[in-house]
Amino acid sequence: MIETPNKTKPSQTKAETLISVKDLKVHFPFGNIFQKRGVVRAVDGVSFDLPKGKTVGLVGESGSGKTTIGRALLRAVDTTEGEMRFYEEDDSFDIASLKGADLREYRKKAQLIFQDPYASLSPRMTVRDIIAEPLEALKITKGREETNEQVKAIAAKCRLNIEHLRRFPHAFSGGQRQRISIARALVLNPQFIVADESVAALDVSIQADIINLLKDLQREFGLTYLFISHDLSVVAHISDIVAVLYLGEIVELAPKRSLFLRPKHPYTTALLSAIPRLDDEGSEMQKLQGEIPSPSNPPSGCRFHTRCIYAESKCKAEKPLWREIESDHFVQCHFADSLELKGVF
Amino acid sequence: MASVTAPATKASTNKESYYTAGQAQLIWSRFKRNRAAMISAILLLFFVIVGIFAPFISPYAPTIAGKDPDYLNGAPQILRFWDENGFSIVPFTYTVERTRSAATNLRWVETINKEERRYLRFFVKGWDYYLIDFFIDLPGRNYDVRWRALKMDRHLFGMDKGFIHFFGTDKDGKDLFSRTVHAVGISLAIGTVGVILSFVLALIIGGIAGYFGGWIDGVIQIITDAVRVVPTIPLYMAIAAFLPDDWSAEARFFFISIVLGLLGWPTLARRIRTHLLAERTQDYVLAAKLAGASPRRIISRHLLPSFTSYIIVDLVITFPYTVLAETSLSFIGLGLKDPVNSIGVLLKNATNVDVMLNYQWQFIPVPIFIILVLAFVFVGDGLRDAADPYAQGKK
Amino acid sequence: MALLEVKDLSIQFATDEGMITAVDGVSFNLEAGQTLGLVGESGSGKSVTAKSIMQLNAGNTSVSPQSQILFQTAAGKILDASKVKDKQDMMIIRGGEISMIFQEPMASFAPAMTIGTQMVEAIRIHKDVSKQEAKDIAIHMLSRVGISDATHRFKQYVFELSGGMRQRAMIAMALSTKPRLLIADEPTTALDVTIQAQVLELMKELQHEFGMAMIFISHDLGVIRQVADVVAVMYLGKVVEFGPVRSVIDAPAHPYTQGLLASLPTLKDFDAPLKPVPGDIPSPLERPSGCVFHTRCLKRVDRCDKAVPERSQLSADHWAHCFLLEDVA
Repeated sequence: MIETPNKTKPSQTKAETLISVKDLKVHFPFGNIFQKRGVVRAVDGVSFDLPKGKTVGLVGESGSGKTTIGRALLRAVDTTEGEMRFYEEDDSFDIASLKGADLREYRKKAQLIFQDPYASLSPRMTVRDIIAEPLEALKITKGREETNEQVKAIAAKCRLNIEHLRRFPHAFSGGQRQRISIARALVLNPQFIVADESVAALDVSIQADIINLLKDLQREFGLTYLFISHDLSVVAHISDIVAVLYLGEIVELAPKRSLFLRPKHPYTTALLSAIPRLDDEGSEMQKLQGEIPSPSNPPSGCRFHTRCIYAESKCKAEKPLWREIESDHFVQCHFADSLELKGVF
Repeated sequence: MASVTAPATKASTNKESYYTAGQAQLIWSRFKRNRAAMISAILLLFFVIVGIFAPFISPYAPTIAGKDPDYLNGAPQILRFWDENGFSIVPFTYTVERTRSAATNLRWVETINKEERRYLRFFVKGWDYYLIDFFIDLPGRNYDVRWRALKMDRHLFGMDKGFIHFFGTDKDGKDLFSRTVHAVGISLAIGTVGVILSFVLALIIGGIAGYFGGWIDGVIQIITDAVRVVPTIPLYMAIAAFLPDDWSAEARFFFISIVLGLLGWPTLARRIRTHLLAERTQDYVLAAKLAGASPRRIISRHLLPSFTSYIIVDLVITFPYTVLAETSLSFIGLGLKDPVNSIGVLLKNATNVDVMLNYQWQFIPVPIFIILVLAFVFVGDGLRDAADPYAQGKK
Repeated sequence: MALLEVKDLSIQFATDEGMITAVDGVSFNLEAGQTLGLVGESGSGKSVTAKSIMQLNAGNTSVSPQSQILFQTAAGKILDASKVKDKQDMMIIRGGEISMIFQEPMASFAPAMTIGTQMVEAIRIHKDVSKQEAKDIAIHMLSRVGISDATHRFKQYVFELSGGMRQRAMIAMALSTKPRLLIADEPTTALDVTIQAQVLELMKELQHEFGMAMIFISHDLGVIRQVADVVAVMYLGKVVEFGPVRSVIDAPAHPYTQGLLASLPTLKDFDAPLKPVPGDIPSPLERPSGCVFHTRCLKRVDRCDKAVPERSQLSADHWAHCFLLEDVA
């Protein structure tokens, strides 16, 4: 694990960065109480910066660790190693080491928007109570009157009908439920939002509406998003920077234009060519063979070598370095310079 | 967008009550539609009221003190409004006279005197009782707890003179109607004590196992399984052998409730544990955690409400089994004994060959018992079907 | 006649809240060897329509009596699949000549039986072959769908396979009876894009090889574009537009199809603002009058909420239901 420094050159000054993740590792031991059978290396040495007011898209197949990164940033799972530095006006702290009252304080700054608009809302609470929960749990507002004011204000911002706050979630469709979920995440006026597949479960005609809402709210409140998705078209629309994740490692990270038009990692191209498109382009591209290996026993060297059509013996033996191949464009591949990879156009 | 949603909003105003209905309201509206469950619920309510007000409803004391010396093993008596001697607005029965003479070979012979009418009266004065009588009789006089209030001597009905026996009498002349009414109350009380005890145990044990998980859960599961595999009948017999003969009927009663409670918890505990384990990984629980809610708030505002409906269902379904357990214990002679009224005791009395051949009315408690258990089962089933109003709402 | 002719299919569900119309007067034809894409959002009735062909809908479903689902069997017989009761005919529409694959392969395999046992059983129900012959067919099918070491996999249980492998095994089982029609209900929705691409590729190959027709259900227009020849766009139980996949996607006629395509984020232009279809999909209990789409339609005219638009034929094989198209056609 020490052999992967995965250092990101701080391309932004601290004033512009909200969170800087350095060499983050999240390992889950498995087995039973008598015997440890091994560890799942869900996230294995990941470094990236989240610039203030921007959206970083995190893409990858299931099992790549994208959800775990989001959960680690919210301290919904404990990290094994690494640092997640959160920068404020004139101060900074490490999210990974927060405890007790400090952790509760952090809840006001970072929130999550879930994937499943059905499972994430308690069916037994009214919409008003759901949105008010963070205010009440952290005792932010004084009295019911003030809580109601704030709930109404944020509900209106999320384009919910404030006449409907007395209703229970079963009265709402998927898109409306997702707006409730967004309102709950924003009621504390956080700076940082993790959106974990937040539009994946929605109908196509509703999806665009929620994406637009998220963009509008970002502009209005200056929010920083970590947008986790398996859908590259959605990520292309909402993100400023995109990180491609494979088996717990970031293999490529770049501003979205650079990444989609001039991908440098074979895995990125493979993902791009797998998108079912509405035109004839892309259909002649190569399809990725095989499936993602188990994160409890990742391949040696470059973790992608088992599925890479360009793989050579070096890929199996030696782990490629994380390097800046163009300005702000990072990649982890031995042959990134020589490969002729095709972008989306 | 507002213009597009407007018509939908207008159309849904009559749906507003459904949209703003909470869990209890949703369950109730679904339960109401189940006719068998509704009828059973009304019946059950009736039984509970009968049980609570047993002394008021029964015209005679269900003990030897209330016996009818002139009507042993007597058949049920039916109220009449008229006979060959004329019509009466107030229903009446006849006087039964019991005589013995040389002419009858010195055996007791009952004759009905149609001339001597007995008229039904309401709210008559009778034997004294306490409307509230809370009695825990532990072995040994010093540990008894008794609290009673509202001494009364009025009863729902009675006769102007003599007795009336709707369900007949037993061999001592005790009124079977009064005994049955009391038995319903006592059996329900034993069930309640047993169910509450097992529920409290189950909630604590299952709650700890489910909330903490891991090795604590593992150890608790082993203990639970150990209790579950104990065969009940030999255990009951062992307990019966342990019960000293000199214990009062009330002490036995209390002890049996506790035994039933101590044996009844594992099933319930396991269900609470399973539900907690499943529910605590739900997204909305994580959402509450991220909202800064403390574990206490998560348990009280999210986890508990998520399974109160299941617990109520489980309790209702467990109840008849506890009543059944009491009944079977008493029936095989290990539980309550004759002077006490419980459904099991009454059933045991009815198994006597003499009774089966000659005094079949002593079986009247049997159908009542069957109706009581069935009512519980139907209400439990109805509640279970209605209990999770959100299950089908998901896509 | 065509391989499958669905005529005026209407299906209702009895629920606690009342009768819900799931499918409302759906008609379409499917030629042998062709792939029909059924595309629609939640509540569009695409799945219910497909399941009714095999009579797989739940017990609270009622198919209205005028509905016809005419299926031409290999023997040249024409069956109305909506009314089949005879056991022999039932075998034909359920697994014999019509097979189905699902989104969740775990649901179509029994967890306590090996994949092989189940495949052999399925084959022997529909074909008069010995156990050994059935086993050979099964192993051949497993290796044909790209499962390596098929003889070994044959003895495994479904939970021992990865997601993509399960999907392949399910396809192998569905195709082992050599059906003339395969119904695929969102078969790739739960898969990663890379695996989805593999499975789609495989399905296209197999369809070509077996010469079977396919009904491919998806909410994803991109997937439909890749696999289907003709597409039926469904909304609230109605087919609002039907036509060759290219003409429907390149020149959508119905405002709903247009809205759906406009709302999709594309890789052509990253920063083009997305244009959502306004409003929400109405609850099935509040089915709009007239044209079902009028509550969300940007082009609605006065009569949209009063009358149901008739079919407007835009070309020989492309039609849609919209008042605005009446003059065009």
